[in-house]
Amino acid sequence: MRRITEPLGTRAVEAGNGVRGSGPDGPTADHAISGTTGDVPSEGTGAAGTIRAEGLRFGYPGREVLAGVDLSVDAGELVALVGLNGCGKSTLLRLCAGLLRPGEGRVLLDGDDLSRLSRRAAARRVAILHQAAPAVPGMSVRQLVRQGRYAVRGPLGMLRDGDDSVCARAMADVGVADWADRPVDALSGGERQRVRLAMALAQDTRLLLLDEPTTYLDLRHQLEVMGTVVRLREERGLTVVMVLHDLGHAARFADRIVALRRGRIAADGPPEAVVTPQLLAEVLGVAGRVGRDPEGGWPVCYPDHPLDVEPAIAE
Amino acid sequence: MREAQGTRENKEPWENKRPRAEKGLDRGAAAPVTVSRPAARRWVRVALPVALLAALVGVAVAGLVAGRTVGVGGVVDVLRGGGDPLARHVVLQLRLPRTLVALTAGACLGLAGLVLQSALRNPLAGPEVTGVTPGAVLGAVAATGLGLAGWESPVAVVVAACAGGVTGAGLLWLLAGKDRGDPAQTAVHGVLVSAVLSGLTAMVLLVAPGELGSVVQWLVGSTEGRVWGHWELLWPWAAVWAVTACALAAPLTLLRCGDEQAAAAGLHTGRARLGALACAVALTAGAVSVVGALGFVGLLVPHLALALFGADLRRALPGAALLGALVVGGADAGAQWLSRVLADALEMDRLSIPAGALTTCVGAVLLLIVARRGTEES
Repeated sequence: MRRITEPLGTRAVEAGNGVRGSGPDGPTADHAISGTTGDVPSEGTGAAGTIRAEGLRFGYPGREVLAGVDLSVDAGELVALVGLNGCGKSTLLRLCAGLLRPGEGRVLLDGDDLSRLSRRAAARRVAILHQAAPAVPGMSVRQLVRQGRYAVRGPLGMLRDGDDSVCARAMADVGVADWADRPVDALSGGERQRVRLAMALAQDTRLLLLDEPTTYLDLRHQLEVMGTVVRLREERGLTVVMVLHDLGHAARFADRIVALRRGRIAADGPPEAVVTPQLLAEVLGVAGRVGRDPEGGWPVCYPDHPLDVEPAIAE
Repeated sequence: MREAQGTRENKEPWENKRPRAEKGLDRGAAAPVTVSRPAARRWVRVALPVALLAALVGVAVAGLVAGRTVGVGGVVDVLRGGGDPLARHVVLQLRLPRTLVALTAGACLGLAGLVLQSALRNPLAGPEVTGVTPGAVLGAVAATGLGLAGWESPVAVVVAACAGGVTGAGLLWLLAGKDRGDPAQTAVHGVLVSAVLSGLTAMVLLVAPGELGSVVQWLVGSTEGRVWGHWELLWPWAAVWAVTACALAAPLTLLRCGDEQAAAAGLHTGRARLGALACAVALTAGAVSVVGALGFVGLLVPHLALALFGADLRRALPGAALLGALVVGGADAGAQWLSRVLADALEMDRLSIPAGALTTCVGAVLLLIVARRGTEES
């Protein structure tokens, strides 16, 4: 555990400094930098890991969740989705993973229409980590991580052992290799989250979607998971889109923040440009101030109190 | 981090299925776990199936020598190719098919139970409590009792049992509605469906009492009087669906991880679940149409299999088949020995306890122990 925490703490700050200190604030600067990290080669497909969502609409009878969303994520970017509960963040993430079909619009992964890909083909392009998963009685860490290889090996391929180098690397990358034979049930919440992250990494995709990966975790484990994601993004050249509730994490770790309100994109840009008192009021429904971190320079929020009008409640 | 293990014990009763030996390793020293466990595991991986296979042979032998007419010596003579015509008939035409049918039907029920529990992510699911077995019984009884099928057309009985099993499962599916994901709710609805189907079966019996004798053994489950005809009907069906079940090991293991995770990993969960359910119904119907509703086998054997073989279904599925065969084979032999002892004690000429009565009684006790242990540990 310690082995992981120390380097990632420093690396996270370095990464933050690197992005922030590299020139004038603005999306172009951020994109240029993340573009270079995206060029790191990864085994697996030759996919670059880009997402283009065009005119996405999604809803249930009587409730529209997404009312026309355009989102474009470049290779190697780390994008944070923020917004109130029910604003459509998780839905957008699921649409991008192909787990939901949009009512209107389409999602392109590396230029290919996601709706034309089979579930397995989609899982070879994009991995998604859900917020919570049910307990699987008796399953060991190694067994669970191995399930991530399903899309690559197919139903019968899963019947044979071997070719576990990808799983071993995934477990080592998130620091769970030492517990490979321990039952997942016996781990703490933070440890289990890392095991599930390893399962997603075992899919060996360039695109990683994370749905509130830090919810339910204490501060230490939150930082651990965030640091692991940032480090993996660099080492593996991943494109990461994550739903975050903590605006502080988003401002510190993300290249770009996309704020959703009532199923539409309310703001989209680098943290310095997006995280403002106006964003707090209009998107999150709180009055607050925004300062700068004295060391890293990223925006820091000081929320004061909730505003009377909740902005994101659906009409 | 390590101390979290202690606090993670608040699991549901049915989640406590790790073998005790393994748990002991867990709780002992944290550090040597990674060193000691693989070695111990490798040993267990080999020894466990071997021990179970040996037990299976033992059970089969016990079944063969259990009857009154021919003793151990006589059976040995017959198997060597000797023996008098009566002994040869008893051993080769009655006892051998009966034992084989018992073992195969047990394997089917064990597999069906584990497939069902994994596909539904419900440890309380079993063919008996999800309407599959009662439905299959109703199908078989209705077909036989109403003269649509009979012993002369055994395939029709299997088809009728399959249709009944699908109906029972479908009824539960409709009734459970949105509560499908909740194990307890599904179990409650399953009991309801089973009660209704059993009631319908009783009504069929009232309408067509003439067939009562042949029909009643489906209700309790019995291996009595099963001959080569049954075996020839059962084994191809069982073989096909057992292979199917084992081929589904990977999707089923993923389904156990929850639908969201399974879908994220690339599994088409709807199709996989449908295939698994079809497989479970077919296995159950095959077993029920030949030996009837053997209670608790499909519900409890999977728990035993998961505890002994672990959550990896590539091992647990064959393990469940082995354990199911062992349990039903054992029940068959036990029922014969018990019948013999009771007949002697009560000085009755002929008395036969159905194997299903034994599995139900033993199963009820086991279920009680499992439930008690679960509540104590939580």
